[in-house]
Amino acid sequence: MTDIHTLAGAYVLDAVDDIERASFDRHLRECAACRTEVDELQETAARLADATWSVPPPRLRENVLAEVARTRQLPPVAAPPVASPRRRAPRRWLLSAAASVVVAAAAAGTAVYVVQDQRVRDERAIAEAARSSEARVREILAAPDVQVREAAVTGGGRVTVASSRLHDAGVVVMAADSAPGGGQVYQLWTIRAGSDPKSEGALRVGQTATLSVVEGLPGASDVAVTVEPAGGSLQPTTTPVAQVPL
Amino acid sequence: MVEERSAKRRLTAVPSAAPPDVGDLLGSVARGDEDAFGKLYDLVAPRVFGLVRRVLRDPAQAEEVAQEVLVEVWRMAARFDPARGSASSWILTIAHRRAVDRVRSEQAATSRSIVVGVAAVETPYDAVADEVQGRLERQQVRRCLEDLTELQKQAVTLAYYQGHSYPRVAELLGAPLPTIKTRMRDGLIRLRDCLTTEVTA
Ligand SMILES: [Zn+2]
Repeated sequence: MTDIHTLAGAYVLDAVDDIERASFDRHLRECAACRTEVDELQETAARLADATWSVPPPRLRENVLAEVARTRQLPPVAAPPVASPRRRAPRRWLLSAAASVVVAAAAAGTAVYVVQDQRVRDERAIAEAARSSEARVREILAAPDVQVREAAVTGGGRVTVASSRLHDAGVVVMAADSAPGGGQVYQLWTIRAGSDPKSEGALRVGQTATLSVVEGLPGASDVAVTVEPAGGSLQPTTTPVAQVPL
Repeated sequence: MVEERSAKRRLTAVPSAAPPDVGDLLGSVARGDEDAFGKLYDLVAPRVFGLVRRVLRDPAQAEEVAQEVLVEVWRMAARFDPARGSASSWILTIAHRRAVDRVRSEQAATSRSIVVGVAAVETPYDAVADEVQGRLERQQVRRCLEDLTELQKQAVTLAYYQGHSYPRVAELLGAPLPTIKTRMRDGLIRLRDCLTTEVTA
């Protein structure tokens, strides 16, 4: 990448991949000239939409207004997280870390999310990951305030949590080396002070990997994984095999 | 955007009441005003739907994605920063990003790359419910696109209207990557200058 400034056009046209987007976003925070150019060219690109004007079917209006009526709005940009003393300094990787939680293309061409060099082998989990809201995942990973934390899974593997206060959400990726035996499954939990652990979903029997978007994640203190009977439990019944403090 | 507003005023035939402005409406929407959202919908939905439909080329999917986009506008309204640009540009940027994400995942999912001839770039637009404002804007954009060099125009339109990545555009046009990257940028700069000149002229 000899001259990153020249990427402004492709960036504005959404013609870059997620990694280039993340690195250009980082560049934009440092380069005022590109910031001004991108703001202006974004206006220009939006004008290209003038040529596509097309009246949507009337039911779209009803559907949108109905969904809006039950959709909570996000507050204006959240206040920066207050620094609090911690037993261990969290690794604040910001964008370089987010960029390493990348969208990669599997052999079949299906978009899947993988964490660094971890291999996500479970076919069904891959399909599931591809279906889970990609735009939302990208949005969270690209947030300027994203924080990435990881913990090992007992028995091998990792749980990675990327969390953004700005979006009031996080992405939890689990990739274990092996599935629990005896018809048991992994189950994800979020832990919040003063309330019972909340289930964020149980995996299927034999499933070792999963990706999920957890709305409201920054309000939680930990993400934990336990081994539970097939179908999952209402509350954790075993000691966590992985726990990620947030 | 100042130019856009002044253009609007000039082109609207003696309005009995000032037409609602996308930026003002978005401000009310940010405060949870659902009525304002309804008005905002009427103003921007044809452009959002048209753009998404152009990129996806599938009306059913376009409807689904347009719905996601418009709900996202409601959800994120308080995060809009007027210092960074106009409200309509903010909305259309969300729409374009979503449409491109969808078209790329579709392309990937079917593992079938859609090769579209350069000649097919200009698909006919809907003539339904046309209105003067929209028609003038369209003409202006089209005129300014014609003002670009052929390579600039193809690079910009293949990316914007069809959601292709710049490596894919380079492949389609048989041009080197750095050239395509540069043409996208200088093409947009030229387009910006043309659109600005036309409005103030
Ligand atoms: Zn720069």
